[in-house]
Amino acid sequence: MLAPAAERVDARRIGQAEHHDTLAARNARLAPGDTLTVRVRRSGDAASGDGFDEFAVPYQKWMRVLDALNWIAENAATDLAYRWLCGSKMCGTCAVRMNGREVLACWEAVEPAMTLEPLRNLPVIRDLVVDRTRYEDKVASLEPWLERASAYAQFPEPLDHRRMQNASKALDCISCMCCYSACPVIGLGDVTNFAGPAPLVQLGQTALDPRNDPQKVRRSLALTDIFSCVSCYKCEEVCPAHIPIVTRIIEPLKAKAAELVPAMAKHSFALRDIVAARGRVDPGALVLRVQGLRALANVSRVIRMLMRRKLNPLRTFLNIRTAAAGAASRILGTRKPK
Amino acid sequence: MKFAYYPGCSARSTCAELNDATHLVAAKLGLELVQLESATCTGARELRAIDPVGFYTLNVRILALAESHSLPLMTICNTCTLNVLDAHAAFTDDPELAASINVRLAEEGLHYSGDTRISHFLWVLHEDIGEARLRDMVVNPLTGLTVGAFYGCHITRPPARYGFVDSRNNSALEKLAEILGCKPIDYTGRNECCGFHTAAHDEKVAIKLTGQHILSAKSGGAKAMVTPCPLCHTVLDGFQREIEKDLGKKLNMPILHLPQLVGLALGFSPRELNINRHIVAARGLDRYAAADRVGAD
Repeated sequence: MLAPAAERVDARRIGQAEHHDTLAARNARLAPGDTLTVRVRRSGDAASGDGFDEFAVPYQKWMRVLDALNWIAENAATDLAYRWLCGSKMCGTCAVRMNGREVLACWEAVEPAMTLEPLRNLPVIRDLVVDRTRYEDKVASLEPWLERASAYAQFPEPLDHRRMQNASKALDCISCMCCYSACPVIGLGDVTNFAGPAPLVQLGQTALDPRNDPQKVRRSLALTDIFSCVSCYKCEEVCPAHIPIVTRIIEPLKAKAAELVPAMAKHSFALRDIVAARGRVDPGALVLRVQGLRALANVSRVIRMLMRRKLNPLRTFLNIRTAAAGAASRILGTRKPK
Repeated sequence: MKFAYYPGCSARSTCAELNDATHLVAAKLGLELVQLESATCTGARELRAIDPVGFYTLNVRILALAESHSLPLMTICNTCTLNVLDAHAAFTDDPELAASINVRLAEEGLHYSGDTRISHFLWVLHEDIGEARLRDMVVNPLTGLTVGAFYGCHITRPPARYGFVDSRNNSALEKLAEILGCKPIDYTGRNECCGFHTAAHDEKVAIKLTGQHILSAKSGGAKAMVTPCPLCHTVLDGFQREIEKDLGKKLNMPILHLPQLVGLALGFSPRELNINRHIVAARGLDRYAAADRVGAD
């Protein structure tokens, strides 16, 4: 079945080795005595022509991005603005973009050539320092605390760890803003009202806690535009706390929204009902159900798609079931959305 | 080489040309495909959020169908691939969930043991066909075709599933393009998101995001883009006229499904690969078709 062992490859990881996609491989490229080339984005009066200053930094064993920044600030650019406090992956203040990837300066090994930039999606105050007000205001508006509608049944209150499993993941967040910078939907600005990954993780700490008052959670979720998340996993990729942001925070919050604010999840219910009835998604039926007649307003697209046989109106309007319909309706049931 | 084949919903509807091209190219490559007709949708992104148990059950059922044929499973959609991989992982990690799913599956005489190998067509090309044999089968090297490989998300992220620290380091598509004789280009959009999963209720995000990706491929010199995912294809190709309107400029970027690019190099004509069913005409690609096949159009 498989190709001969000599040429067997793990296709899911092609490119990993040649691009040094592990810590060990990246470290192996440097030895004490080497010189790093570090380009740092500068702003304001400090900015030169292209906005970057280049520094030659002597490599030391186990050097982190933060060590390189400290060396530059002490030896080459005393006016360089960057933030850090704990130096040990706790305070979440030192996040920057290194070669286009969000990292914690205190936790990331240096690379032979580094371009350091401030995080995206937040205003720059100076050099590598960003203004976090936008994030803090959003988190505050989501009321990220527990509220109890009634008195505790007993004290201490029994709490099943299974019911806390997602909230406890969210509690690992150090508010470093790496995910907020990596999120492409936040990058689109006011095209949506999406709260963004970091505020949703903060909300998840309490909204996914089973003790919280559902009415309060409902109020918070209504402000998130959470179904504008495109599920790209960019946030998970950069999270230094390794929080599975999409699967353990955003999806459980979407489930809460579907339960507490069903109007937000209209398209999810539509897809579910179509799959339950037909076995597979009929895109025409899904779009009609979600968008209504608005879907037909784009006449030129409908005609284009009909001409290329990308739509099948017969199948859509005659509600034709597929060979998978029986199994789908048995497994998903025929519950109607609330 | 035989696979249970799961095309997914998109390749059975808006991207039917992908299903046709996959069958054509697989036969040429010596892959025998047993199409799982009774397999349901994997639930896209919607079902996994609102009904996790239903989501896992539908996906494990697909794995059990493959098991009933004693065959590995081949997929051609990124989102379907991640869904079955995630369901397989949940099944393996949670014995209680696994047992309850098998109770449901027993109603129709199915059972999943947890052993089905899951492979996207891209991985089958690299792992089961292999570079050497693929090179031998290329009768029409696509010399001069500069191509922008567009991965999409669910074939390369999340890191817990695929192991990349930085998904930009994935080069499986570029490597394949080189084997086929193309010249892959580097551009910023290659590992970015097309926005498909919010498009059913609001297309703005998909249009805005994907416009930037096609622009960056175009300015990088791409004559075509290739994607392993029909959902990405739907935005890249199906929404391209709306994207052009939003950008205020023409793009006319032909978008190929992965099996179509392979098919061109194996000597099939664009018409045989149903490239004419795309919204953006791919006339410019005729010159890369095998000389003796262009007449077949």
